[in-house]
Amino acid sequence: MGEMEQLRKEADALKDQITAARKAVQDTTLEEAAAGVAVVGRVQMKTRKTLRGHLAKIYAMHWATDSKLCVSASQDGKLIVWDSITTNKVNAIPLKSSWVMTCAYAPSGNLVACGGLDNMCSIYNLKGKDGNVKVMRELAAHTGYLSCCRFISDTEIITSSGDCTCILWDIETGTQKTSFAGHQGDCMSLAVSPDFSYFISGACDFTAKLWDIRDGNCRQTFAGHESDINAIGFFPNGQAVITGSDDATCKLYDLRADQELITYQDSSIMCGVTSLAPSLSGRLILAGYDDFNVNIWDSLKAERVGALAGHDNRVSCIGVSADGMACCTGSWDSFLKIWN
Amino acid sequence: MEELDVPQMKREVESLQRQLGMGREKASVTVTELVKWVEGGYCEDPFLNPELMRANPWVEKSKCVIL
Repeated sequence: MGEMEQLRKEADALKDQITAARKAVQDTTLEEAAAGVAVVGRVQMKTRKTLRGHLAKIYAMHWATDSKLCVSASQDGKLIVWDSITTNKVNAIPLKSSWVMTCAYAPSGNLVACGGLDNMCSIYNLKGKDGNVKVMRELAAHTGYLSCCRFISDTEIITSSGDCTCILWDIETGTQKTSFAGHQGDCMSLAVSPDFSYFISGACDFTAKLWDIRDGNCRQTFAGHESDINAIGFFPNGQAVITGSDDATCKLYDLRADQELITYQDSSIMCGVTSLAPSLSGRLILAGYDDFNVNIWDSLKAERVGALAGHDNRVSCIGVSADGMACCTGSWDSFLKIWN
Repeated sequence: MEELDVPQMKREVESLQRQLGMGREKASVTVTELVKWVEGGYCEDPFLNPELMRANPWVEKSKCVIL
């Protein structure tokens, strides 16, 4: 038997053992545990603000930790920092490459980052001395498009790429600290745990992986989706993971029991999930879809309890503010909307 | 999905061995705690508790101001 055949057999045997280990701890389901919980009543939210200014499709948005400012990225070649309450543009940053696919706000509020088909992650300092916003670093090493980026601090950022890897960068030196390899398809999305010790990635190999930021190892792999995972997020308590896929479903995975808990799906929904965000308590999951809508799910009962309709094209990104007070959606129709 | 070469396959096997070794907790414990945590946060969730949304910064205050 060739070495490759041998290794394949070993891998399959290990996967079977993992499946058995998961079954061994599966002594209840979410349906059973939440049987006594009443479904949340109909959730209705209104558009409170529309942020107008982008001239092309919006691909990404991210809230600042102050729950007031947010940043958006559009293929009109601009990053815009908005005051979501006044709808004023605080900064309009022209990009070298207009093919942007992701953006992020640093927890400190000092930096924003973006990247896309240029394969790079560009870091911008919003608090420069002369008031001008300039490129502070260009992080180049990925051999594929940048799909997502998230700051750990002002000195570290994690990126995910179409080259199937994620990288932890040292922003000051502009170099790679750790590379996270293992996915067998483009990495599409990532999210950092509330305590900043882990991150999760969703990929076109239909799996989500949990990574230890410090030692670079993949701790857990979650399969089950039948198509690309486009969106991923941590449940607010950091102990579960939510994924959204082209297979038209979202799934909830338990990190401690290492298994899928439930699927959020409806026979009437046949288009892909592009983005997702949990509410503050995790009871609601807001998910953006290719059919221009956002569906609101009761996370414990897996029932649809509301929808946000108002965009004229695909909802490409969604975020709930840190204080849980507002949801922001960004769309290919070039507008962002604030809902609550 | 890409085809792996031998070194990549070796790393995949190592990774699976590590992943197998993790300590898994019983779902009856973890899922019950998850449900409890979510229910416990209900009153603090502005999307669920209308009281918290009374002072909504994104809603225009009344158009007239008494000077």
